Amino acid sequence: MPDRLTNSWCNRFFPLVAFGCLPLLAHAQANYEIQVYGAQTVPPQTLMVELHSNFTVDGEREAVDGVYPTFHQEHETIELTEGLSDWSEVGFYIFTSEQDGHGVQWVGDHIRPRIRVPDSWGWPVGVSLSTEIGFQRSAYSTDTWTWEIRPIIDKSIGRWYFAVNPALERTLHGPDVNQGLGFAPSAKISYDFTPVVSGGLEWYADYGAIGNISPVHNQQQQIFVVADLNVSPLWEINIGVGIGATAATDHLIVKAILGRRFDWGRHSPID
Amino acid sequence: MITRRELLKLSTLIGVARSFPASAQELAAPDYKIEIAPVTLDLSPRHRLKTVAYNGQVPGPLLRLKENRPVTIEVANRTDRPEIVHWHGLFTASDVDGAMEEGTPPIAPHSSARYTLTPRPVGFRWYHTHTMAMSDLTRAQYGGQHAFLLIEPRDNPGRYDQEFFLGLHDWGAYLLPSDDGAMNPGYAVATINGKAMGSGEPLRVRQGQRILLHFLNSSPTEVHWIALAGHTFHVLALDGNQVPSPRSVPMLRLAPGERICALVELDNPGVWVLGEVRKHVQALGMAVAVEYENKVGMARWEQPPDLIWNYEQFAAVQLTDSATADPIIVPLVFESKFRGHGAMEAWTINGNSYPNAKAEPLILGQRYRLQFINNSIDDHPLHLHRHSFELRSLGAPLSAAQRAPRKDIRGIIKDVVLVDSRTRTEVEFTANNPGATLLHCHQQNHMDLGFMMLFDYA
Repeated sequence: MPDRLTNSWCNRFFPLVAFGCLPLLAHAQANYEIQVYGAQTVPPQTLMVELHSNFTVDGEREAVDGVYPTFHQEHETIELTEGLSDWSEVGFYIFTSEQDGHGVQWVGDHIRPRIRVPDSWGWPVGVSLSTEIGFQRSAYSTDTWTWEIRPIIDKSIGRWYFAVNPALERTLHGPDVNQGLGFAPSAKISYDFTPVVSGGLEWYADYGAIGNISPVHNQQQQIFVVADLNVSPLWEINIGVGIGATAATDHLIVKAILGRRFDWGRHSPID
Repeated sequence: MITRRELLKLSTLIGVARSFPASAQELAAPDYKIEIAPVTLDLSPRHRLKTVAYNGQVPGPLLRLKENRPVTIEVANRTDRPEIVHWHGLFTASDVDGAMEEGTPPIAPHSSARYTLTPRPVGFRWYHTHTMAMSDLTRAQYGGQHAFLLIEPRDNPGRYDQEFFLGLHDWGAYLLPSDDGAMNPGYAVATINGKAMGSGEPLRVRQGQRILLHFLNSSPTEVHWIALAGHTFHVLALDGNQVPSPRSVPMLRLAPGERICALVELDNPGVWVLGEVRKHVQALGMAVAVEYENKVGMARWEQPPDLIWNYEQFAAVQLTDSATADPIIVPLVFESKFRGHGAMEAWTINGNSYPNAKAEPLILGQRYRLQFINNSIDDHPLHLHRHSFELRSLGAPLSAAQRAPRKDIRGIIKDVVLVDSRTRTEVEFTANNPGATLLHCHQQNHMDLGFMMLFDYA
């Protein structure tokens, strides 16, 4: 899931854009969980534990509106996802940030239920729908409560994998509460070079409010070159380097996801 | 003067797939007629499915044939695709066995063909399509072209009061990612005789009866475990061949293509569930009620705590020397080939996929020992056409750390054997039926993607 907090911040800054305060958009960066979702959900009686580590090599250097700068921020996000059924799961996030002068800080928490179209329906693409609600401290986002709905569509064809997440987000508490829905799509394309190594591109964008799309240089546009290492069904490893293509985007980010699946249920051969 | 049988044999030589002129048909009326045609099945009130079947029914019509008494079976293909019928477990000639790889001609769309067979060996066989499905998970064995075939013996293998033929099948295939990193089929519905639990007629029985159950697993890809609550199975035959040591077991395991004949003593009155042991498969519908006379109510299920099965328990108690000279060893290594996380795996035998997988020509009369070395993480039901083989060694781990002294077994004759993941299984057969002979994994998706090899006779 991309830029989990970014969208809310973009929404926050959107009124400023309207007033010509374009430099402030550069502050609308916070990459806590940079991931394009696939449609699969975590199986029941299984807990997926993921650590998202993102470091902003080159980002905003000044505090803006009381929000810490992103330059050399190290974000560590713990994501816990529990499978509820063959077609549903719920995820919980703990966002943290580490930065010189600020130390290690708790940023906020989100909760994310998700459902998907069961495989048995035989749809030609994987489809799921997640919704996420959460809080983040005002030192990291002036919009402290946000809500997101994220359709997820993906497809594997041979060695190719495609995914698109046309997410919509809304501020529930903060300056942008009256702004309406923002549009923040993301997408992924990758190729399986070997059974273990897949490589590809991930794209993350934020176009601002629906019905009032931001000018290009005020949009967030990020491209990551990524590799997925499929070392085991129990492990998830994703690494990438991303560049921001607009002034409103952090310029260089390094990301990594390390995930481990834990089957905690009693798995009997007769089940 | 040419006889009817000779005419039919001649027709076989020039290709079974040829449509006969009306005059020829009048000269030689077939013993059986099978029509391959589209059909709509009601697997359950919630599952209606369009497929292709034999004579409009699933399973197709039971053929009861007499040993060594030739029969002619006319097959009309009313579909838009070439078809072929494989006579599974029969010692047929290559050109009528029903595998295009062996040289049996396909039956062209909207035409007919005749198969003349001399049924042997005695036992429970079956017939089914032997076409490829590839990426279309509604065709070939994913569909409804399968049926029972019984070659009746002079003596019955056991005294019984009723017999039932029960076909296990999975329907509504779809691809889903699996832990092996590739796509594999999953299923929406699982049935016995084309009906999900509660949608078909129960097996009606009486207390004190002995019933003979003929199980066939015609699933395209799935192994099934079957139990009858409140009862045990006394296994008489595997793949239609009597076992040296009949034995009572709490459940049966059948890989795709396998058959089991078992007696059940009806000594526990009630209404019971006969069905898949694994809960998630039974929930898809693979169960049927067994209803004692004058007993009513919900069918009762007793969940076994574990899956229990092995072939060895039915082997001869004492090893006997083989009547033939030392067999020629033929090592066959099975491995998968990655085609992407969004595709099913391809398969190789000794590094090559069909048709490049080759073996040395067989010598008539020679005994061979096939070493099935399964280097993959999947289990594989290996099927040898036109011959039976004897199980000799089962499930030896491939890793040196786990390797145990090989245990020889004797006396179990089969035509399909499930080779467990990362193990070696050995079987022996005598090359006594000249002609092209196909060996393949009976999982439809595996044979589609290269898991076949052709033996030729020298």
